[in-house]
Amino acid sequence: MSERKLRLGVIGLGKMGLLHASLLNVFPEVELVTFCEKNALMNRLFKKVFSHTGTLIVNNLDKLQGLHLDAVYVTTPISSHSFIIKDLWSKEICRSIFVEKTLSLNFSQSKELCEIAKKVGGTTMVGYMKRFSVVFGKAKELLSKGELGEPKRFKAYAYSSDFLGITKESKSSASRGGVLSDLGCHVIDLALWLLGPFDVHEVLSRVRNEAGSETSVSFAVSNSNKLTGEFDVSQAMPNYRMPEFGLSIECSKAKVEVNDDRLILTPSNGGAQKKWYRHDLNDNVFFSMGEAEYFRENQHFVNSVLGSRECESSFDSASKVDFIIEQVRNKSVLQ
Amino acid sequence: MIDSSEKLLLVGDNPFHGISHLSQERARSRTGKDYSITDKADIVTTAIKNGADGFSFTVSDVTLSILKELREQGKTEDLKLYAIVPYAFEYVRIATQTGTPGLAKKLAKQIAFSGDFGAVFGGLGALMTMRPEAIMKTYLAYELSRIRSAAGKKVVLSCVLLHEVITDMGLALNFDWLFKSYVSYLLKKGITPGFNTRNFPYLVNKFSEWDISLEQTLIETQFNKAGFQMNPSREECEKTLSSLSSPVVLAISVLAAGYFKPPEALDYIDSLDNLKGVVVGVSTMQQASELFQLLKKRSKS
Repeated sequence: MSERKLRLGVIGLGKMGLLHASLLNVFPEVELVTFCEKNALMNRLFKKVFSHTGTLIVNNLDKLQGLHLDAVYVTTPISSHSFIIKDLWSKEICRSIFVEKTLSLNFSQSKELCEIAKKVGGTTMVGYMKRFSVVFGKAKELLSKGELGEPKRFKAYAYSSDFLGITKESKSSASRGGVLSDLGCHVIDLALWLLGPFDVHEVLSRVRNEAGSETSVSFAVSNSNKLTGEFDVSQAMPNYRMPEFGLSIECSKAKVEVNDDRLILTPSNGGAQKKWYRHDLNDNVFFSMGEAEYFRENQHFVNSVLGSRECESSFDSASKVDFIIEQVRNKSVLQ
Repeated sequence: MIDSSEKLLLVGDNPFHGISHLSQERARSRTGKDYSITDKADIVTTAIKNGADGFSFTVSDVTLSILKELREQGKTEDLKLYAIVPYAFEYVRIATQTGTPGLAKKLAKQIAFSGDFGAVFGGLGALMTMRPEAIMKTYLAYELSRIRSAAGKKVVLSCVLLHEVITDMGLALNFDWLFKSYVSYLLKKGITPGFNTRNFPYLVNKFSEWDISLEQTLIETQFNKAGFQMNPSREECEKTLSSLSSPVVLAISVLAAGYFKPPEALDYIDSLDNLKGVVVGVSTMQQASELFQLLKKRSKS
C-alpha cells in the first residue's frame, strides 16, 4: 500500500498558526504545502524565514487554489473565520478544515457553516484542545463510567491575567471576541463535553473595561435533568500568569474537582480522597510544544482526515459553544 | 566558556516568576512571589554560598533587577550566569494583547530605545534586508547588552540558552540555519550556546542530521523519576542521554516541581551517569541552603 501524505495549508501565522505549523511538520504523514499571511511585514519576513523549507508563502486565499490541499488550518482572528471558511469551500480549495476557537463570531454564522459542512462532506474540527488534556480526559472517563452517580450541580471557571490592568481596548482584544469567545469558550466546551447540554437562565454579572470591552462575565445554567451550574470567566484576574480552566462537579456519589493541572475525587460516603496530577496520567507525547494536548489535538485531526472520520470537536459540536455564548449575550442585553 | 570537567549545580529562577510545573495553585500559593527583589537576590546568594555554581535565569525585568541588586551588593564577581532568551511568556502575552505584528513592532521599539548602538544599527540593517539571521543576531546583541548592563562586567556569562519555545519551534520547522547561526554567533563571543528543550531525543537527532556538534553546546531538558515532560518518553530520553559522547545536559524539573522530595528525586538523578549537572529553583532561603547543601554532598559522594 502506498503511503499517502496529507497536503496541508495554514492561514494566519500568528502564535497559534506557528504552533500548529510546527507540530504538524513533525508528523511524517503531513506535508506543509503553504502558509497564507496577509500582513505585509510578516509575509515578507516569513518568505525569508521559510525560504529553506520549500513551503509556499502567499498573501491571498486565491493563491491556494490548485494546490490540491487535503485540509487547511484557519488561525486568523475570530471575526474572519466565517468568510475565510466559506471562501475555502466555495473556491474548492479543500474540504477538511481545522479552525481555532471559536468556530465563528456568532451562532448564526456557526449554524450556516455547519450546514455547508454537511454538504461539503470533509472533516471539520475546532481547536478546543482542553478535551485532549490528560486531566480533563480522566474526568471524562470517571463521569462516563457512571460510578460517580448523577451530576447535580457544578461550578466552572476560566481565569487569566492577560488583560489585567489594560484599560484601553486593543485591536487584538476586540478581534479576539471578548472574554467569552477568547477564554470562556474553552470551559463552556468542557462542561458540554463532560455533562451534556444545558441552557443559560441568568447572567449574574458582567464587567467591561473603560473602552467597553467585556473582561469578566458570570452566568448560571441548568438543564431538564435538574443539573444546575455557574460559570465565572475573567481575563483580568490577578495572579493567573497562564490561563486556567477548572470545574467542580458534584455528583450523587462523589465530587470531582478538575483543572489544567490535577483532578481530585472525593467520595460522598467519606471514602478516601484520590488525587491525580498530570505526572500520574502519562502526559508524554512524540513532540511537545506549548502543552501536550496541542500535539494530541493535531494528531486527532490528522488521523481523522486520513481516515475520513468525524472529529472529537467537529463544527457541529463546537457550534453548541457559540449557542451558549449567544444566550449569555442575549440575556445580558435584556438585563 | 564552560570548563568541561566541572559538574554544575545551578539555582534556577522559576519560583521568582511564579512558575510551578506541578500546578498553578501551587505557584500562586508560593510565598516567593511576594518577595522583594532584595529577598530574591538573597535566595540566589544563599544558594551560591551553599554549593550552587551559578544562576540560570530567563532574561526578564525581574531577573535583571535581581542581577542589578547582586551587583550593587558586590556579589556578582565570578558569578556564573546561564541566561535563557527570550522570556517567551512575556512575548506571548504581548502577542495576545496586540497580535504578532504588534509584538514585532514593540520589540523593534525596545531595541531602538535600548541605547545599545550596535544593536540599533544592526537592527536597522536587519529590518532593511529582513534576513532572519541578522534579526536574530540583533536580538541576541540586545539581550546580551541588557544582561551586562544589569550585572556589570565582572560577571561571567557562561552560557546563553535559547528558550524551549523557540528551540522546539526551530526543530519542528527544520530551521537548521537558526541553530547554526546561533551557535556560531555565541561561540565567536566566547559564550557557550545552549538550548532549552522539551524534546531532547528529537533535538539530538536533528543536530546529528544537521552536523551541529553537541559538544560545543549545553542542553537544558527535563529529567525526573516521573518522566514528566520527558518526550517522547522517559526511556527514550535516558537512552539518548547515555548515547552522548560527552556530558552536555543540565537536568531541569528534577523535583518534577515538588512532586518528589529531594532525596527521592536525587536518587534518580544519581542513577544517570552522563549528566553535566542540574538546575533547581528554590523559593526560600531555608530551601536554598538545605537543598544546595544536599546537592553538593550528593555530587561529591
